Amino acid sequence: MITIDCVSKTKSGTRILHDVTFEARPGRVTGFLGPNGAGKTSTLRILLGLDRPESGTALICGRPYGKLDRPLTTVGALLDGSGAHRARTARAHLRWVAASNGLPDSRADEVLEVVGLTRDARKRAGRFSLGMSRRLGLATALLGDPEVLVLDEPVNGLDPVGIRWMRAFLRDSAAQGRTVLLSSHLMGELAETADDVVVIDKGRIVTQGGLADVTGDHPTLEDAFFTLTATEADRPW
Amino acid sequence: MVSLVRAELRKLLGLPTAWVGLVLGTLIAPAVVLLNAPYIRRAITAGTLTDPSDLGLRDLGIGLIGPMILGVIVVSSEYTSTGQDAPGARQLTATLTAVPDRLRLLVAKTTALVLTVAAQAAVTATATLTLTQVLHGEHVPAPAPTRVVAAILYWALTALLAYAITLITRNGIVPLTLLIINSSVVSVSYLLTKVTDLASYLPDIAGTQMFLRDTDFPVEIAPVTAGLVMTAWIVVLLAIGLILFQRRDA
Amino acid sequence: MNTARAELRKLLTLPSLRRTALLTWAATLLLTYAYASAESRGEPLGDPTALAPLGYTQAGFLVLGVLAAASEYQEGGQIHTTLLAMPRRLPLQAVKALALAAVTLPVAAATAATSTLPASGATWMPAATAYLTLTTLLAAAVAGVVRRAVPAVILLLGLYFIAGPLLRARPGSLAAAYLPDTAALNPSRGAAATIIWTLSALTLAALTFHRRDA
Repeated sequence: MITIDCVSKTKSGTRILHDVTFEARPGRVTGFLGPNGAGKTSTLRILLGLDRPESGTALICGRPYGKLDRPLTTVGALLDGSGAHRARTARAHLRWVAASNGLPDSRADEVLEVVGLTRDARKRAGRFSLGMSRRLGLATALLGDPEVLVLDEPVNGLDPVGIRWMRAFLRDSAAQGRTVLLSSHLMGELAETADDVVVIDKGRIVTQGGLADVTGDHPTLEDAFFTLTATEADRPW
Repeated sequence: MVSLVRAELRKLLGLPTAWVGLVLGTLIAPAVVLLNAPYIRRAITAGTLTDPSDLGLRDLGIGLIGPMILGVIVVSSEYTSTGQDAPGARQLTATLTAVPDRLRLLVAKTTALVLTVAAQAAVTATATLTLTQVLHGEHVPAPAPTRVVAAILYWALTALLAYAITLITRNGIVPLTLLIINSSVVSVSYLLTKVTDLASYLPDIAGTQMFLRDTDFPVEIAPVTAGLVMTAWIVVLLAIGLILFQRRDA
Repeated sequence: MNTARAELRKLLTLPSLRRTALLTWAATLLLTYAYASAESRGEPLGDPTALAPLGYTQAGFLVLGVLAAASEYQEGGQIHTTLLAMPRRLPLQAVKALALAAVTLPVAAATAATSTLPASGATWMPAATAYLTLTTLLAAAVAGVVRRAVPAVILLLGLYFIAGPLLRARPGSLAAAYLPDTAALNPSRGAAATIIWTLSALTLAALTFHRRDA
């Protein structure tokens, strides 16, 4: 369960989040949707204790991230990049992360297997392609077998096989009762995966609810999104 | 070629660290002359200075950290990763797609570096020497123009030395550490001259003799020969750097 | 305990730290030889031979500290992983310093021994080891605030090898006694300065780390 309540944040003089409030519930995939720069990543970083909110609270299972014991056993997070130092091998990276939360070393090889990187375990992270970096990031998120998953643009950089795999993985996770929150600007992708949708634009939540409710009378989620964010579809940027 | 050099100049001057090198390098030497003025004046009246014509020129050496930083980051910035998404991505990729001919690229980079450092050295030398004249003019002869030009040349060559080493190491920290330690008051090269006379031909020991007279190195080298020795070092290192740069994957 | 194990593993699997340690030790060996042979030629280089090489090779320890701290912020964004795994920042910062000290200590001892023992300065060895370890921690603290390796190296080496000697060269300079590296040549005099500088830098680094968005 993720609860974000009235979170605001100002960065170098600009208000980037205005009273952001929403929930992500167990057993469901919640899609966090918005154009580039809308505040998706900022919200997730505050949720994960990386950035500080100016006001408001962001809780995971009722506690702020920093108060979780062995946090990786509760939350698995994937942000941009692999989160690994380029000179370290994939296995060495996963092993120090495992040690930090008292997980056995064998977990490193288990999660490498899950994301299909077993053969690259001895490769240095700096030699990984974009797709492999993302898989390594996901492997790190899965180390503690967490009940909550927070993923920032998870399909970025994945090939079609990887995207399909990710979709199935997220659906399975939710089916097993996990809470899944993923941000994306790919609406087609979200429409395939999400049960609930939260739409953010210019730092404000524009709408939220079940996928069907948010889509409403519009033919697709994409049409609904453009109406809601009042972005002209023909303006390139 | 002119547009390539302009592009490289723009790239260099767009780096915040380059400005650290420019500002530090330009300000330190004049500042030291100002701060040391009372002490020098006492030394002059006491007659403990052996060759007052070195004054001012000697102080220029302290600003060399500027050209060193510039020479290193011209190369090391190309090898720093540009983003978190792909740890392998470097500015060099963009550079080489824009200018695939690596030799031309290095010529443009070298030119941009030499232009920047020569301009910086000219400003610093003028400021430092004018200040020395204003403060101690009655005791210090105005330095011969050839010696000033030699000092500016020494700055440019030092930048090129840093640049060539970085081309070989592809990493900024190793050359910066080596060069900065070696620009300390008692340099490692100077220590080595106490062990073997051959150390007199190290680039920095030879290079300073282009424009300083009062040195206590075991082998005295005439200014022109000194310049040639330092240039030879740089040519060899640059050649190695160039060959490696041509052969290595970007 | 878990945090300590994780931080130790991180340091031990960074190839750049191993390379720096090795180079530093080799440079100390070379300089010790240079000082010894200058002395045997009858032209000693002034400073006490047991410690003088360390005055130069402490640069290696500065680099060691910088690399250890800046590696978190380099490409790949490892700091995110670190903070997601260990979100309590102040204890994390303390453990980081202890882990770095534990890894540095043997390197510092080996380097100090290389320089002091041949010059029959064995009594200086413990002090020199402690000094080099503290210097590494100070550099790590500075790099933790600056967050980028090259600027941190420029800053620290500039202070230790350019600004410091300049201040010391001024006759009657008071500042010289209070610089963090006074102890490098004169352990009995500068010890307090080194400890205070290191502790202040570590405190500053911990506070900025605690306050700042990662």
